[in-house]
Amino acid sequence: MDWLQILVLGLLLGGVYAMMASGLTLLFGVMRVVNLAHAAFILVASYLTYVLFESLALDPIVSLVITMPLMFGLGVVLYLLLFPRLEDNPRYVEMTVLLTFGLALIVEGLMTYTFTGIFRSVRPEYASTSITVGEIFMPTSQLYASLISFALLFGLWSILRFTRTGTAIRATMQNRAAAQIVGVNVRRVSALAFGIGMALAGAAGSLLSFMFPFFPARHWQWIALLLALIVLGGMGSIKGAVIASLLLAVASAVVTDLMGPTWSPITFYLTLFLILMIRPQGLFGVKVRL
Amino acid sequence: MAVVERRQGLLAGAPGRKPGARSRRVTVTLVLALILLFPVIAIPIFQSYAYVMQVGMLALMWISMSSSWNIIGGFAGYISLGHGVFFAIGGYSAGLALAHWEISPFLFLPIAGLAAMLVGFLAGLITLRTRGPAFIVATIAMLFLFLLWFDNWEFIGGSSGLDLPLVQIPVQWLKVPFYYAMALSAIGAVYLSHRVAHSKFGLGLRAISQDETKAEVAGINTRWYKVWAFALSAFFIGTAGAIYGYSLTHLRPLTFFAIAVAARMVLMAIIGGRGTVAGPVLGAFLIIGVNEFAVRQLGQSELNIVFTGLILVAALLFFPQGIVGSLRKAGRLPAFLDWD
Repeated sequence: MDWLQILVLGLLLGGVYAMMASGLTLLFGVMRVVNLAHAAFILVASYLTYVLFESLALDPIVSLVITMPLMFGLGVVLYLLLFPRLEDNPRYVEMTVLLTFGLALIVEGLMTYTFTGIFRSVRPEYASTSITVGEIFMPTSQLYASLISFALLFGLWSILRFTRTGTAIRATMQNRAAAQIVGVNVRRVSALAFGIGMALAGAAGSLLSFMFPFFPARHWQWIALLLALIVLGGMGSIKGAVIASLLLAVASAVVTDLMGPTWSPITFYLTLFLILMIRPQGLFGVKVRL
Repeated sequence: MAVVERRQGLLAGAPGRKPGARSRRVTVTLVLALILLFPVIAIPIFQSYAYVMQVGMLALMWISMSSSWNIIGGFAGYISLGHGVFFAIGGYSAGLALAHWEISPFLFLPIAGLAAMLVGFLAGLITLRTRGPAFIVATIAMLFLFLLWFDNWEFIGGSSGLDLPLVQIPVQWLKVPFYYAMALSAIGAVYLSHRVAHSKFGLGLRAISQDETKAEVAGINTRWYKVWAFALSAFFIGTAGAIYGYSLTHLRPLTFFAIAVAARMVLMAIIGGRGTVAGPVLGAFLIIGVNEFAVRQLGQSELNIVFTGLILVAALLFFPQGIVGSLRKAGRLPAFLDWD
């Protein structure tokens, strides 16, 4: 395959990866929580989109309007129910990883119970068409998903950059204790960050629903991929997550081209492994003692 | 400070010095006798003998696994979600020995354990360069890497699996040898856990779980302690995998690598009490009991994994120290459960 073609396909996919990863890395930045249930919640949104499409014939892109606020609400509620209780635990970080691991199991089981383990996919018209620009071929679904992802990423960036709440979130990411001292309501910021992360997961779920077939246990593959992205980017760095997503998406497209699709996940697992060994702080992470 | 307290507890735990020592010895003898005689006792009592033996074998298997996991996850405080790898190494090494050289997995057990331990040692050298959440993430990556490799390795049957010859025993007694082999593995694992808890090595691991930097300053070679703990924790998971794989007669990567397998070991150790000897055993009994009850009442369903998750979340929120840990903190731990 033509190199330019591989690059374009990689970048399109990378856009969607970037949006998924930014939610996860935001959460880590604000709360020091590695949310292993992130991909499970992405799939919840995919199934929601599926149900809306099958029952009301609602376009998956339009259903973002429903999935995003719903997941935001779910995120805030989950945060308030689960996390404040663990705050004083000396092993907070480990506890929260295990907690979200438990959440992922619950969500996976409920999805399998409701929708069974078979493959599902949402098939709007644009799921099977493509656009050709010059020599370059682009699946319409990936193009749309990528454009929406970049728009949402821009939205996230604007919120963080230009609003008061965004400043509070960034302050908390830099130094939680200091933010608290200057009057940031850290708990409120955390709840909000969890909500935003989940809203991005919701959007990702709606977009993935027409890009890839899905089944409940699929989320483990997605979370491994997302972890690779945020570890490479530096945990807590949104800029890093975006760059890592674009890099790895292109790299995995190259691996797929050379070795076949079976081996493309290895790009992510190996990266994850190697980065943790060689440069645990990733590309843009601050070297924190975890 | 907590290290010092534990150390005093540890010294007091020497045989004969503690009031509970005799009752503990009685408990251990009784439990061992019950485990060994259970297949005989069960004949007249239970109608569905094979089912009872199967559940007994599973309970022993999980005791073996959660007690082993506890060495790195409990004593050293390094939470691994990748221990399914060692389960698979044990299962596949014994399975290959049987399929290619016709060596009975029962005889192959020590080698299966050593193979798992070797992989554990090498994996530990790499993953243990990280700490805290990065370590957890690294172990997940390890699990997925191995799964991908096994799924695409033609020699061992790839994702469709490897068939093993059946054991030539009358069907009625088919489960009995597996039960005893698993009993051996479980007893070995608990004994190892006990030995580690009562050694200088175990003390070092506890120091690491309390504060790694201080442990290092105190002269503990933290790196080797951790790597050895990781390797040791793999051994009896490997033997359990060898026996379990043989009992299935068909090895598929996902049987061993399923994240639910790794999750269960962790859950059992946490429910019972991380970093205690009795905790993982108690946790394994409880979870297997609840699981069998749920399967009987509701049938085999996806809700099982929901229960696993719910129990894990509830345990973390409400009693993170587990049953044994919480009871001990409250000073109400009965002597027969105090195996430390």
